[in-house]
Amino acid sequence: MSEFVKVCAVSEIPDPGKMTAEVDEAMVVLFHLDGQFYCLDDVCTHDGGPLGEGQLDGDQIACPRHGARFCVRSGEALTMPATQATTSHEVKVDDGQLFVKIKLT
Amino acid sequence: MFHGACSLIFESMWARLFNVGVESAPDSIERFTDTDRIAFGCPQFNQKKSMQASAQIAFDDASFSAFLASRQEPEWLATQRRQAWQAFGELDWPNRSHEEWLRTDIRMFGLQRYGLDSSPPESVELPQPQLAAGIELGGATVSLDSSSVKSQCEARWQERGVLFGDLGKLVSAHPEKIQPHLMRRAFDVNYDRFAALHGAWWSGGTLLYVPRGVVVDEPFHAFSAITDGGVDLGHTLVILEEGAEATLLSETASLNPTAGGMHCGGVELVVGAGANLRYVNLQDWATGVWHFSHQKAVLGQDANLQWTIAAMGSRLAKVNQHVGMVGPGANCQVNGVMFAEGRQHLSYHTLQHHEVASCHSDFLYKTALQDRARTVWRGMIKVDPQAQRTDGYQRNDNLLLSTSARADSIPGLEIEADDVRCTHGSTTGKIDEELIFYAMCRGFSRREAVRMIVTGFFQKIFDRITIDSVRQALGLAIARKVREYD
Amino acid sequence: MSIDSRVEETPDQIGEINKYDFRTATEGVFRARKGLDADIVAQISEMKDEPGWMRDFRLKSLEVFNSKPMPRWGGGINIDFQDIYYYLKPTEQQGKTWDDVPEEIKETFDKLGIPQAEREFLSGVKAQFESEVVYGSLKDDLTEQGVVFLDTDTAVREHPDLLREHFGKIIPPDDNKFSALNSAVWSGGSFIYVPPGVKIEFPLQAYFRINAENMGQFERTLIIVDEGASVHYVEGCTAPMYSSESLHSAVVEVVVKKGARCRYTTIQNWANNIYNLVTKRAMAYQDATMEWVDGNLGSQLTMKYPAVYMMEPGARGEILSIAFSGKGQHQDAGAKLVHAAPNTTGQIISKSISKNGGRSSYRGLVKVEKGATNTKCNVVCDALILDEHSRSDTYPYIEIAEQDTSIGHEASVSRIGEEQLFYLTSRGLSEAEASTMIVNGFIEPLVKELPMEYAVEMNRLIQLQMEGSVG
Repeated sequence: MSEFVKVCAVSEIPDPGKMTAEVDEAMVVLFHLDGQFYCLDDVCTHDGGPLGEGQLDGDQIACPRHGARFCVRSGEALTMPATQATTSHEVKVDDGQLFVKIKLT
Repeated sequence: MFHGACSLIFESMWARLFNVGVESAPDSIERFTDTDRIAFGCPQFNQKKSMQASAQIAFDDASFSAFLASRQEPEWLATQRRQAWQAFGELDWPNRSHEEWLRTDIRMFGLQRYGLDSSPPESVELPQPQLAAGIELGGATVSLDSSSVKSQCEARWQERGVLFGDLGKLVSAHPEKIQPHLMRRAFDVNYDRFAALHGAWWSGGTLLYVPRGVVVDEPFHAFSAITDGGVDLGHTLVILEEGAEATLLSETASLNPTAGGMHCGGVELVVGAGANLRYVNLQDWATGVWHFSHQKAVLGQDANLQWTIAAMGSRLAKVNQHVGMVGPGANCQVNGVMFAEGRQHLSYHTLQHHEVASCHSDFLYKTALQDRARTVWRGMIKVDPQAQRTDGYQRNDNLLLSTSARADSIPGLEIEADDVRCTHGSTTGKIDEELIFYAMCRGFSRREAVRMIVTGFFQKIFDRITIDSVRQALGLAIARKVREYD
Repeated sequence: MSIDSRVEETPDQIGEINKYDFRTATEGVFRARKGLDADIVAQISEMKDEPGWMRDFRLKSLEVFNSKPMPRWGGGINIDFQDIYYYLKPTEQQGKTWDDVPEEIKETFDKLGIPQAEREFLSGVKAQFESEVVYGSLKDDLTEQGVVFLDTDTAVREHPDLLREHFGKIIPPDDNKFSALNSAVWSGGSFIYVPPGVKIEFPLQAYFRINAENMGQFERTLIIVDEGASVHYVEGCTAPMYSSESLHSAVVEVVVKKGARCRYTTIQNWANNIYNLVTKRAMAYQDATMEWVDGNLGSQLTMKYPAVYMMEPGARGEILSIAFSGKGQHQDAGAKLVHAAPNTTGQIISKSISKNGGRSSYRGLVKVEKGATNTKCNVVCDALILDEHSRSDTYPYIEIAEQDTSIGHEASVSRIGEEQLFYLTSRGLSEAEASTMIVNGFIEPLVKELPMEYAVEMNRLIQLQMEGSVG
């Protein structure tokens, strides 16, 4: 099983805001929203588009390629053309640092 | 009725397993583990290299100038390298907005993490090569981290004008043979940034040149290995003149199975009129290696090529395999064996390009996937307007052995002539549970059953491979990989 | 009124579309100025007296359209988006009987045989001329059973809740550049609601006609087939030849609920200078079946890949695609099946014919999502190339993320077999007749799925295509 990996200082991501990062050989997007942090695979389940390059709209991120929207908190696919959730990873904050544990699916 | 039929299938599968060289009873297959190397007994390959940290040359302008100065190569070659380096500077890294890279994410690849090794290799134990077991070879090359450690061609073939050995050395000794072909028709440094990088920095690698009419009945063997974190930029150039015949077995490996590193390579196969080439390429880099390669064959009139490509290793592989049929009557058969596991990502893009009339091409790629592996196979048959009487075939079969694997299959046809017969097929599925059940009823473990069925899945390719040692090596490599799933 | 037949001016097209190549002299009652910007979009919304949400939807879609690049694949699209009329209202009111329809427009549809077909074969008809639906009918018994068959503009007013629940949800504006364009400037199209358990025996038909030059037609169709219901919808499309290109860019959204069935048949015979760039997608729920029957004969360039998303267990998607490309034509047609749930099955059959320099491309997708266990899908693509100037491409994408599935794809490209030709010509047929006969046999699987009058029409069109190019 994978471990929590330190990614960055919490101060590096504005609220609201997002940042892409490489964690444990996976590309992920980190979100900062209403004081909370979330982490999703940087992959749109529709056709692999880079979610991190999309627009953050409330607690939704829209894929820049075909507009599929995902819930930042859960990874759930909210609109067509995506039908599948993208993977959501566990996040924790410790001493001002952000940690992510990659969930292998 | 049903069990009778099932039994027949099963018996034949079992027979096939024997065909690929497992000589003992099924339970003994259990002995093979991922770390086992099958001893084929080629002790002359055991070179040594010191493990101490070696000086690395970064891929930048200053280093490139120094690299050029150190090479003492003919001016035409230095010019070629400079042009490629210029192209490298002008090109961006491919990204996912390019169709070829849509499914292959290389954002985690950083060239700055790698450099060319400048220290001469010594005192490292190399892994055993797999393809040359029990074969009388016409010659052999070995390289480590892009440096030649061994380069040998039997005198009987040298006497007949055959050149085989380290391309880096031979290119200066025999420019008249090499210059007309090196990175001309079969390699495009402008194709993408990896091609440009290779064109500028290639070092080491293998040349096989067979003069007109010479038939070489002993295979040549080329072996490239890298250290953990090492780099291989080897270039392979094969030139068969009119009516010549030869076989080249090439394979790659790392010093340990989970090592990192980078291979950015190129393969050029120039097969003259009526010539006949068998080329086998076993890619077995460690699971941390980034593997980028542009491979192309150009076939003259009535030339024959059998090209077997086995993709076993690497963390991420992006390979372009291209056969250009430029002489009427050319014939090629391509056999692809892919086995991906762990978190491997193997992306193979084939192009069978019918540029002239009356050629025949037949591509068969079979892929097995387990764990969270992902494969992308993208094939294209391209038929130019003048290429009448084309017979083109391509097929990709995918066998998913785990619930988390993913296989993308993208066959394609672009046909601009009308007197053609072009066909492609693609299948994806899992192992038939009934076959497993039946095998288990007969006393086999689930793993044995799966292994036999997977071997059977590849059987059609094994049947097409005419070199025993290659068939054996691939069969064993596959059998070793199959794991047990509930 | 005058019917301007231009057969003599377009000799290349003789025999291919001449039946449809006539123009009706009609000025319409309102024509928005050429070009595309927020003012035009707002004006369209205003003309239609739309609610605020739809106006906002349009304006946002325009932004999406402007932000998206042109597709870099498919066919060559050379459109000056500022040189197109986006909205042309042909008449003040929609007719409930053909007598209500302005005479010159009625005559157009008479020539196309719509009123006759309506009397003989159909449960209901919509006829769209330029941007608006000019005629609509639905058999009384269906109205009584709660079936709704309206133009989409009227549905925005009369069925706002039902419409809003699905409109733009199956194909969001962001999906692609042309779905964004349609979402910004859409007008007309069909809205169909079939209540639970209602099975409509005869097809509902819509007929789309572009008459004016430099016209863009952007109809928007939404079909909702409720639980256990079934419907067959048929659409036909034609336009006269002009010297400059016109654009047809529709969005069609279909929802097939539990146990329901929908068949959507298209016979596209646009003039050979129309860009036909259409997004069609259906979502099929539990045990529902969605079938697309898609025939593409006309247009300069068609890019159209009807899709079925199988969202719940037991759903089935079937797509039958036929493309015939003659001189100057590129049919980039195909099909997409997405298995998003277990126990779903799919099938794609594609037949294409390229002749006289035409290019037919099959472009398709089969996707099996993780968790879509026990799924099966089979794809067969056959292409015929009838001469050395023509071209055929096959671009299938197969993406499998689930182990428990069985997916097959086969494609072949060939020319008409010498033996077949020899056999037929030795029996006294000319080579052209023999070729036509072989082509008819080749597309028979499609033709037999068509309603009778369309099957006859289809065979006639194929024959004309064959003659036109042989001739």
